[in-house]
Amino acid sequence: MERLERAELSRLMARLADGDRAAFGPAFALLWPMLRSFAERLVGSADAEDAAQSALLAVFARASEFDAARDAAAWALGIAAWECKTLRRKRQRRREEQGAPLEMVSSQASPEEALAERDLHEAIRLTIGTLRPIDVETLTALTTGAASGATFRKRVSRALGRFRIAWRARHGSD
Amino acid sequence: MEATDLASRARRAYELGRFSRALRVAPFVVAAALVAIACGRPVAMTCALGCALLPLAVGLLMRGGSAGRAVGPGLGAGWAALAMPLLLRTAGHACFGPSCMSLCLPACALGGALSGALIGVLARRDGGGLSYVVAAAAIAGLSGAMGCSLGGAFGILGMAAGVVAGSAPVLLTARR
Repeated sequence: MERLERAELSRLMARLADGDRAAFGPAFALLWPMLRSFAERLVGSADAEDAAQSALLAVFARASEFDAARDAAAWALGIAAWECKTLRRKRQRRREEQGAPLEMVSSQASPEEALAERDLHEAIRLTIGTLRPIDVETLTALTTGAASGATFRKRVSRALGRFRIAWRARHGSD
Repeated sequence: MEATDLASRARRAYELGRFSRALRVAPFVVAAALVAIACGRPVAMTCALGCALLPLAVGLLMRGGSAGRAVGPGLGAGWAALAMPLLLRTAGHACFGPSCMSLCLPACALGGALSGALIGVLARRDGGGLSYVVAAAAIAGLSGAMGCSLGGAFGILGMAAGVVAGSAPVLLTARR
């Protein structure tokens, strides 16, 4: 998302938070493609549509809580990351219940590599799940390149510090 | 799913989100009514005022804009008008007969004027203009009326006059 679009989205979300319904259409037009591509990267194309839809509904349901001082794109992606995580957890549970075979992470990797990669992703996901929502939002913004600036770098540093502590607590090493 | 269908679901989610957020004002309205009842105000009248105040506050918060932003300050300012006559009552003043007119009525008018002045200051800071002042004055008036019913109809009228007089400078500036 371009810098101008991000600024425009922040303005529109601030107007929505203040109750200006005229901002709904333009905000929807900016948010939907952003959330769909984000969900596609996070959960894969098969589940992207469902994840993006629930993320979009959650973003609009919480639109009146939006703080105009924050970056709307990072805020929306934080909510979307949470929705994607919830959806993945649901699907994972369903697969476990049905006893489905392990899903390959990469078609080019060997089964062992795919399994190791999947385990690593799962471990990272579970560790991130123990962090506070603000840290999840920060790390999401970091991976998507959705924010920058000195304040954001400080937030990233703090979030990564807390991630390391949580990782050590769960796995005993970096 | 069609984009228009998704947009209408998102719109519904937005309105529901606003509604549930607006409902957070309810404990403050209920608290104001309970304080008034605890200080001896008639239950039926206080409930009637609370029943008028709650939907007004929720509706304005849901609508948003400057009128929505005025709800919190209006309730805060209303507490001044609510507290004045109730303080007299708890201090042992029996509001009955001519002594009521000499003490309760000025207390209601003073509480109203304080509310009005507070609304004026906050409206100027917010820049919300006439709709902000009118919404805040309505909310403050209904909150204050729960306490100023102590002075009867004149108490409520005195408080309302105080609110209008206190916020008049901002009202006049906004009209220009």
